[in-house]
Amino acid sequence: MAGGIKVQEINCAGCANCIKSCPTEAMRVIDGCVSVINELCIDCGECMRNCPHKAIMMDEDEWDLISSQESVVAICDPTFYVQMGAYANQILIKQALASWNVTDISDYASLAFDIVAYSIARMLDHESPQNLPLITTYCPAVIRLIQINFPELVGRVVPVDSPFEIAVAIWREVTGRNDDITLLVPCPAKITLVRNPVGREDSNAQYAVSVRKLVRALLAGGPKISSEQLEVGLNNRWLQWSVTGGESAHISAFSQRPLKTISVSGLRNTMDLLKEMELGRLRGIDYIECRVCDLGCIGGVGNAESRFLSKSRLDHMDINWNISADEMEALHGWYEKGIYKLEKEITATRRNPLATDLNSAMSRLKELNRIYSELPHIDCGSCGRPSCKALAEDIIRGQGEMTDCIFKLRETISELSREIADLAEHTPHTLRGKRV
Amino acid sequence: MTTNIYEEEFKVEGGDFMNVGTASTTLKSSLEMVGIPSSITRRASIIAYEVEMNLVIHAGGGIIRSLVSTDKLMILAIDEGPGIPDIDLAMQEGYSTASDAIRELGFGAGMGLSNMKRNADVLKINSEMGKGTSVEAIIYFTENTEWRK
Ligand SMILES: Nc1ncnc2c1ncn2[C@@H]1O[C@H](COP(=O)(O)OP(=O)(O)OP(=O)(O)O)[C@@H](O)[C@H]1O
Ligand SMILES: [Mg+2]
Repeated sequence: MAGGIKVQEINCAGCANCIKSCPTEAMRVIDGCVSVINELCIDCGECMRNCPHKAIMMDEDEWDLISSQESVVAICDPTFYVQMGAYANQILIKQALASWNVTDISDYASLAFDIVAYSIARMLDHESPQNLPLITTYCPAVIRLIQINFPELVGRVVPVDSPFEIAVAIWREVTGRNDDITLLVPCPAKITLVRNPVGREDSNAQYAVSVRKLVRALLAGGPKISSEQLEVGLNNRWLQWSVTGGESAHISAFSQRPLKTISVSGLRNTMDLLKEMELGRLRGIDYIECRVCDLGCIGGVGNAESRFLSKSRLDHMDINWNISADEMEALHGWYEKGIYKLEKEITATRRNPLATDLNSAMSRLKELNRIYSELPHIDCGSCGRPSCKALAEDIIRGQGEMTDCIFKLRETISELSREIADLAEHTPHTLRGKRV
Repeated sequence: MTTNIYEEEFKVEGGDFMNVGTASTTLKSSLEMVGIPSSITRRASIIAYEVEMNLVIHAGGGIIRSLVSTDKLMILAIDEGPGIPDIDLAMQEGYSTASDAIRELGFGAGMGLSNMKRNADVLKINSEMGKGTSVEAIIYFTENTEWRK
């Protein structure tokens, strides 16, 4: 049940690049255009990266519409602060946004990230070793990937709410305001965070607009920056969450013991790591931080800046990992209130079995394997499915035909033409024995 | 009621580290498709992975056969490798004869057989030196097994 991407049908060439890049095999090409199986889409953005025709886009809300409203309240993804050399600073960005009548409530985000890191550290302190490692819930695409491809691991996902949700909740409580909130997001997965969150009924935010959109607008010279103020004393720990390892470092800063964490980014690494964990091979590890985008959220498809430059800015940032007593007091109050807790349990997304009872499901699986054995096993994608296996499954589920495979089609045609040739040799009785 | 048995067989090549994990991934997807609960699928894929690794590393390849019936799941690995001289010793956590080269690849911690034992209801190993080894693992579907609707 995704919602972060959309297909621009006129641009779709019906090629198989996207369907083969999809980690959950959620895409098919049907009648010349790609379609997405929503229940399986995790909004990782991999199809966008692999589409040579730019036919897949982020399905973001219209900034022009949002910004035409009288007052706009926005909260920025941490990647937003490392997009532009000229605006690599929380205060400058707040001022720039203010000049557009946009209230930036990201100060609450920095508090919320502290709360999340602190809550996770407490959970890791109290969890018994056989239930470790726990897995991050920061990347919504990772949560969905686990729900679909690694259902056995859902119990290990740390039940802590998204810091963005927490930030908005605190802001609402502190200010008593009820405005719509726009989240500036670096990827399709965080659009889904707003439209279709996991672990809660509704998001506290109402709109999602890409970081890229706002960066373009800022750079186009809309706002005026009056001051050359440098960032002083602001908590910038949370900005590190946009690069691989930042979350783990933040949690470690709150932990009472040295934590053994593994941080990886990119879809391939994430899948490999989860697979190893599923096989019970990660004993002795406390926490797993993974992001489906290369280098972390700065690699998300909704950013404007090169992920390498963003990373360099993050690497050169002066970060204060020591939490001051004041900061501790502020976050502890919210922690005690349980603001970090998820509303709902995260559960696995079950694949539909082939039949409702085991016996007939087994028969159909045998049939599926028989069909599969007749297919060429080269996963060419011409049938519009990501693999021969997927075609076999679609056929068994009544969503495809053997002749969708061009190799099978060719075989069928050649058989047919042989039959036709045979038939053509066949002389009518009236002509038999005579010279035609 | 006719007992329907679903059977799947895999040929595993010796030394083929590139494809290792295929048997377990395929088994997992088959089990999911027939609606076996994930708690069992997880245990089965761990066992399949470990036997597959052992076939690749220690036995020069072999076959893995998985059989699903209505009350249990059986994973059978058969090879014609060198055999295991002392099975009790091999079962011990941390015992491994894997070479340094293999350890460098991240295998050979001597955890495989004990990992299998933890996840199987029954684990039987037969081995004859110079002839080969067979490993049979069974997971029962109990009344408590939560079936999917
Ligand atoms: N099929 C087999 N043929 C011959 N020897 C085997 C076979 N399976 C296991 N062994 C022997 O038993 C030992 C222990 O196996 P086990 O799977 O527990 O550990 P490992 O394979 O060495 O390391 P790990 O599984 O942690 O990567 C092996 O080192 C090997 O000597
Ligand atoms: Mg082993």
